[in-house]
Order: sequence, then C-alpha cells, then structure tokens
Amino acid sequence: MTFLEFTEGPMWYVAATVFVVGVLWKVIGLVRIGHKPDIAPPKGSAAGGFLAGNIRHFFPRGLFAERTWMHIVGGYGFHLGLFVLLVFAAPHVAFIQERILGFGWPALPRWGFIVAAEVAFAGLILLWVRRISDPVMRLISDWDDHVGSWLTFIVMLTGCLALQEANDALRALHIFFVNGWLIYFPFSRLMHAATFFLSRGYTGATYGRKGMTV
Amino acid sequence: MMLDIHGKFGAGPARVAAALLLAFAMVLAIALGAHAQSSVRPPSNAVTNVTKPVGGEVPGNALGATSDGEVWGAIRHGESGKVTIPDGYAATLIQSQGQDWRLLRDNFIINYGAMLILAVIVILMAYFAIRGRIPISGGRSGKVIPRFSLSERVVHWFTASVFVLLAISGVILLFGREFLLPVMGPEAFGLVASAAMQGHNLFGPLFLVAIVAMFFLFVRGNGYKLVDLAWAIKAGGLLGGHASSGRYNFGEKSWFWLAIIGGLAISTSGLSMLFPDFAVETVAPLVGGGMAGRELLQWVNIIHAVSAVVLIAVSLGHVYLGTIGMEGALEGMTRGTVDENWAREHHDLWHAEHEGASTEDVAMAEAKAAHGEV
Repeated sequence: MTFLEFTEGPMWYVAATVFVVGVLWKVIGLVRIGHKPDIAPPKGSAAGGFLAGNIRHFFPRGLFAERTWMHIVGGYGFHLGLFVLLVFAAPHVAFIQERILGFGWPALPRWGFIVAAEVAFAGLILLWVRRISDPVMRLISDWDDHVGSWLTFIVMLTGCLALQEANDALRALHIFFVNGWLIYFPFSRLMHAATFFLSRGYTGATYGRKGMTV
Repeated sequence: MMLDIHGKFGAGPARVAAALLLAFAMVLAIALGAHAQSSVRPPSNAVTNVTKPVGGEVPGNALGATSDGEVWGAIRHGESGKVTIPDGYAATLIQSQGQDWRLLRDNFIINYGAMLILAVIVILMAYFAIRGRIPISGGRSGKVIPRFSLSERVVHWFTASVFVLLAISGVILLFGREFLLPVMGPEAFGLVASAAMQGHNLFGPLFLVAIVAMFFLFVRGNGYKLVDLAWAIKAGGLLGGHASSGRYNFGEKSWFWLAIIGGLAISTSGLSMLFPDFAVETVAPLVGGGMAGRELLQWVNIIHAVSAVVLIAVSLGHVYLGTIGMEGALEGMTRGTVDENWAREHHDLWHAEHEGASTEDVAMAEAKAAHGEV
C-alpha cells in the first residue's frame, strides 16, 4: 500500500468517521442541553429571533465596524475563500463525486481557484497576525486557537502546492493533513464552524421571545 | 494437396522458355535503371537555362548572393522572416537574446546571488560571535512608550509572512537546479520544485497588496532629513559617538525605501511573468521602442531575480537586528511598545517628542499602541 493509498483509504475513512460522529455528537449534545423554562409570557417569536439573530450577526454593528475592520475583512475573506475552495475547486468536486456523493457540480475555472485561494490565504494570515498582535486577542487566545489556525493554513498550503496534480506525494501530503484536520475538528474550536448558528440563534431566540430587536 | 504441375498448372517447354525470357528482361531493366539513377550529371549535350554564378553569387541564386552559412548566421542572431499566422514571434526562428539571458542568469545571478546571500549570513554570524547581542544601555527602565499601532504591526507581519513564503519558494526555484538537484536527485527535486512553483505563483500577488499597504502605513516618518546624514557618517554609532535619529534612523529609512521599490519591482515583474500575454501586449509597446515580447520577459525575469536576491540579502540583516541582534527591538513589533531607555538610545529625537507617553503601565501602553496612539 502506497502512502497515497493509505491516506485516501483507511486513514480517510477513519478521519471522516471521527469528524462526522464527533460533530453530530457535539451538536446533538448542545441541542439536548435545552434551556431553563421561561415562565414569563412571550412578547415575540423565539423562532423569528433565532433567524434574525443569525442574519444580524453577518453584518458588523456601526459602533464597532471601524475598530474591527481587520476582523471583518479577514474573517469574511478567509471564510468565503475557504468555502469556495472547499466546495468548488475542481479536484474537490471530483473527489466528492467519486468518493462521497456519487454526483458533482460545475467546478471553478483555474483563475477562480487562484482568486479564492488568494483571498482565503490573505484572510487567514491577517486573522492570525491580528491574533498575536492585538493585546486583547493575544490574552484570550490559547494553543488550541493557534493549532487550529496553523493546521488550517497547512491544509490550504499543501492543497495549493499540489495544484499541478502531477505528483502523488504532494496529493498524499495534502490528504494526510486534511485527515488530521478532520480528526482535530470536533475536539477543538474549529467546531465553531458547526455551532456558530446555534449560539447566534440562541441569543436571537432569547431576545426575540422577550420582544427585543436583535 | 500436391499440385499437378504437369496438369492444371502444368507448363510445357515453350512456357518455361517464355518465363525465363521475361525474368531476364526484368533483371536487365532493373540494372539499367540503377545505372541511370547513379548519375546526376546531365548529358554533355543537354540544354540548360541555369547561368553560371558570377561575382560571388551562390550557384542556383535561389537566395541571392547569400550563402547558407550567412543565412543561418543571421537567423542565429535573431533575424526575422515573414509569417502569415497571427503569432508574429514565429517569424523569428532563433531569439538570440535568449542565449544572453540564459548566460546572465546561470553564470552571474545564480552564482553571485548565492554568494551574496551566503556572505551576508556568514557576516551576521561572525558579527554576532564577536559583538554578541547589543544590550540596552543602562538596562531596562521599566517604562514603555507606544511605538507601532496595531495596523502597522499587522501589515508588517502580513508582509513578512508572505515574503518568507515567497523567499523560500523563490530560492528553491532560482538556486535549486544548481544546488538541490545534485543532492536530492531528480524525483525529489521535481516534487519540491513543482510545489515551490505553485506556492510562489499563488503568494506572489499578495505581496503586491502587502507592499502597497506597507507604503501607506509606514511612509510617515520615513522621509530623509539632515540628521540622517550625520547618522550615516557615524555609521549609526559604530564609528563612535551617539548618532541621533527621529522615529526611524537612516538605516531603517533606507530599508523601507529599498523594500518598497524592490518590492514593487519584484511584484510587477512577477505579475508580468504570471500573465505574459498581458504584459507583452500592454507593457512592451511602452518600453524599449518596439522591444520584442520575449526580450521584455527576459529582462523582467532578470529584474525579478536581482531584486529578490538583494531584498533577501538585506532582509537577513533586518531580521537579525530586529531579533537576536539587538535587545528591545522586537517587542516594538510584537507588543507595539518599546522600553524608554531603548527609545532614548536609538531614537532620541523621537523619544524627546514622546517622552510624555512613557508609562510603567505596560498593558495601558499596549492598548494605546493598538488603538493607534503612537
């Protein structure tokens, strides 16, 4: 068995299983916690508040927009760029079609991939540099934040280094780090990608039930 | 089944004689034909319209008075012909400047570039071994002054991160064939070179964004003043005596302008190589008065490599002084604040202006620096 066969075979299945089971376990666990019964009569819709809370958080508040421009630009750049790469990069579409879903969709042209990768890398570097430079961010960051950032960076970097798709070793290296990322995901703050809508929605639902504008 | 040659396929003496005669005739015809082909000379009485060459003309006069040697010599030196296809460069069979470019790159840039970078590393190591880390005179004061805002620090580290990635991948691409290939072998080097090329091409455009941001954030205070001349004459205090400086000293200002100009040269030349057709169509008509596209790209390649080698070499000195070479320098870029004694020693004029911001409350000073109160 070659290294590539190992990373795309047994290691991939283990990593994917850990990822799916771990994420479901945590999300279901969070939902099952529930909340204390609110005996006050509702003044608005909790469901509407859940939705509004999620939507409202996509837009920076005017009061903070100027001071958090780095967070906004870096955050949107990185997350949108990564999403586009993950879902629309041609090698990923082919992998999803062949190994996961059995069907695919139109992939990005090469120039689109390059633009998305540039934006994602710029955003990630900006966010991490801010994390180590801002005194408050530095104070609230721990090793988990740095490992998550660096692991994501290495996954993206090895993916781009293998872009020529001419070398099995580079592809295997990328898949190896992807597997590591998938295994690390449920046990780290990378989980925010699967739980952010719950926390935003919870706040929004609480406010919505009290009739407050989110 | 036995063939009955005397029956259905049989032949009488007359038929055998005819067959032998036919075979003889064929052999004779082949022999005469071969003899005729072996001679290209026209018969002595043949009439021809070919005139004898006169005055240095080439026999046949198909190419005028130019010999084959002269024709190929002209082609070798870049003489163009005519083509009817859209690609005008196809009219030039041999782009002679390509050989000059190859020799310049292989014999000059790679050899001397490697020597320059190695020399800087050796000098810095020797300097550190002799001088050691330059301490803060009088030790730390316990007070700090905000020096770099969060935006300045983020842009600095963003630029540095991209520069390091580009420098590593660029060094592999420029020097790898010469120095890594013999050590790693073709397969391993092919893998590394392929990865380096993809990474280099990907991170290249980000460097242009970083350099432009760097310019706008750091240009304040980086204009040369008369005090910088005195600093340069005293070599920053190395030749004795105190060398005054404002927010940035002569060395830092020179590094800033070198990084900006060199960075722009690297970025624009790199983008030209990433998008050669665009560069040739838009830039070639503007420079060099009809410089051919390939020649332009060869110059671009040389500019890219030379700028990169110089910037890498000088950046090593910058990194050295900013980290292990000098006590108190790095924290300005990590925490945004510097020790007051360090400020007084290295940037006395700037310190005099900001002495009032000096405080023992390090957390408050860092918060002020982050908010741009520098």
